[in-house]
Amino acid sequence: MSERIYAWLLRLYPSCFRAEYGEEALQLFRDRCRQERGFFAAMRLWLDLLADLAISVPRQYRHVQPAPIGASAGRRPDGTPSFCVLEGHSPRLGSLLLGAVLSAAAASIPIGHIANYRPFRSALAAHSPGYARWPPTSFRMTQAAGGSGQSGSRDFPSKPMVAQLASGFLQPPGAQPQSQEAPRAGARPAVERGNVGAPERQRVIHAIVANIKQHYVDPMVAEKMAAMLLAHETAGDYNAITDGAALAALLTRQLRDASQDPHLDVVYSQAPLHPPGLTSERLARYRVAMEQQNCAFEKVEVLPHNIGYLKLNSFPEPSICGAAATAAMASLNDADAIIFDLRDNRGGYPEMVMQIAAHLFDHPEYMYNPRENTTERSWTASPVAGARLADKPVYVLTSGRTFSGAEHFSYDLKMLKRATIVGERTGGAAHSGVFHRIDDHFGMGIPEARAINPFGKSDWEGTGVEPDVKVKAADALITAERLVQTKLKKK
Amino acid sequence: MPKQKLHPLPSSAFQILLSLAGEDLHGYGIMRQVAEQTGGRMRLGPGTLYSSIQSLSEEKLIEELNLREDEKPGQERRRYYRLTPAGRKVARTEAERLAELLRVARTKKIWKGDYV
Repeated sequence: MSERIYAWLLRLYPSCFRAEYGEEALQLFRDRCRQERGFFAAMRLWLDLLADLAISVPRQYRHVQPAPIGASAGRRPDGTPSFCVLEGHSPRLGSLLLGAVLSAAAASIPIGHIANYRPFRSALAAHSPGYARWPPTSFRMTQAAGGSGQSGSRDFPSKPMVAQLASGFLQPPGAQPQSQEAPRAGARPAVERGNVGAPERQRVIHAIVANIKQHYVDPMVAEKMAAMLLAHETAGDYNAITDGAALAALLTRQLRDASQDPHLDVVYSQAPLHPPGLTSERLARYRVAMEQQNCAFEKVEVLPHNIGYLKLNSFPEPSICGAAATAAMASLNDADAIIFDLRDNRGGYPEMVMQIAAHLFDHPEYMYNPRENTTERSWTASPVAGARLADKPVYVLTSGRTFSGAEHFSYDLKMLKRATIVGERTGGAAHSGVFHRIDDHFGMGIPEARAINPFGKSDWEGTGVEPDVKVKAADALITAERLVQTKLKKK
Repeated sequence: MPKQKLHPLPSSAFQILLSLAGEDLHGYGIMRQVAEQTGGRMRLGPGTLYSSIQSLSEEKLIEELNLREDEKPGQERRRYYRLTPAGRKVARTEAERLAELLRVARTKKIWKGDYV
């Protein structure tokens, strides 16, 4: 009965709020009813609810008002845009039809006139192998055009904890990274290059200023950079630049000069950048890809001499692949040594790095990750119940294509003297920036975190992780097998 | 939605950020955690709680988790929320602001407390 009363009272809220949170609010009410029994508890509950209604209903309406002006009323957490209507009822069919006709007519005018107009191609993204990879190839072109001196094969960082799940790490490991076949900047015909007009230039610069002020790890430096950009803008220094990539390269250089921080990046992409957040559609695609590829565990087997061998081509999303990872580790529980083959591993989710590493220790161990602030999550959840690997020798096979999250795994195990790294020097992608999308073509990476590196100042950024035993990637497995055998014989 | 909603950060929003600092929680979990950390002084009602969650999500200070590994079919589906690094930063800034306030209060001798 009381639930029905509350459900009825919920109708006082704007329809948009009810659609999004109505069921949750009811659930919360049910939870409280279940927990808080007795006359006084019930009285208190209803007093709370009435006070809550009195405060939050007017506030909701106050906040709904400006929504139509802002066009899109923010995004739902799952990434799909939502719109609020002020009325509780949906518009009539006739009005909707009229609206559709009018907007189609209005839209046809600019579409017909703007030569450079490119619609957002979500359908195309569905077919591209690197669908969730950002930045698209032009990120590297920007790098090349900017002549920033950084390695052209850098991958961009991800911080899945933010809604930056749009990052490259979502790429299924089977798909070849696009960077390999990325055309060079010079090879592009001039016609194709994106031209940037004054309004967009101004918008991009102001968005960068706002983003830096809001997100950059050091607010003082952020102010300095913002002032610098605005000063250049006032002086008209950007007026002559009409090429998107050139603008991005210049802004990157200026930001880095002002901050001495090589992780700041402004990115221009000819192809539209994905909107931020992991939409349910992309998540579903990722899940299917992961299921088809056994969650990037290409091989899990026991080699002769009871050596556990695990070829892992990505550190996949833990909520989708956590069980697969647990099963893989459990199946090697009785091995005498473990070889992690990360030669084709392009990175992934830090949570998965932590989950797998947790099996290798009998106590919580600090794993340095330059992309995240040091928190309780920086310690492995060791010991893992049932795991018997904490005292077994560990070998990690690396190559020049071992990247990012895989370097996080290799670097920390090496520094903790928990693993012997066999193979080639790794790719060297330690970025600590988080990607912010500015519009369809511009984005930027901003370092937001500062982690404590107990192993000294430099990590693998730009330099890669140096192997303990340097051999060609192709020979790494056989070398590691020999090392294991020698080691086990000594015992 | 107007940006000013979280500027200054309302205390309910700050409490929600703090409640999520340790672990991901669903709505009721947040409510209980907030009640606990305020010694029962703040009991967030559904309206206040979810409008705060809405604003915090829009500002990307918290994010909703799409999936829970332990979620079983047939179970009541609950939406879990997680603090984003941006949210952690905002909470830290707010804590620093309050600490600064306490420092001033101490110099004015209206409050004697441990060093914060």
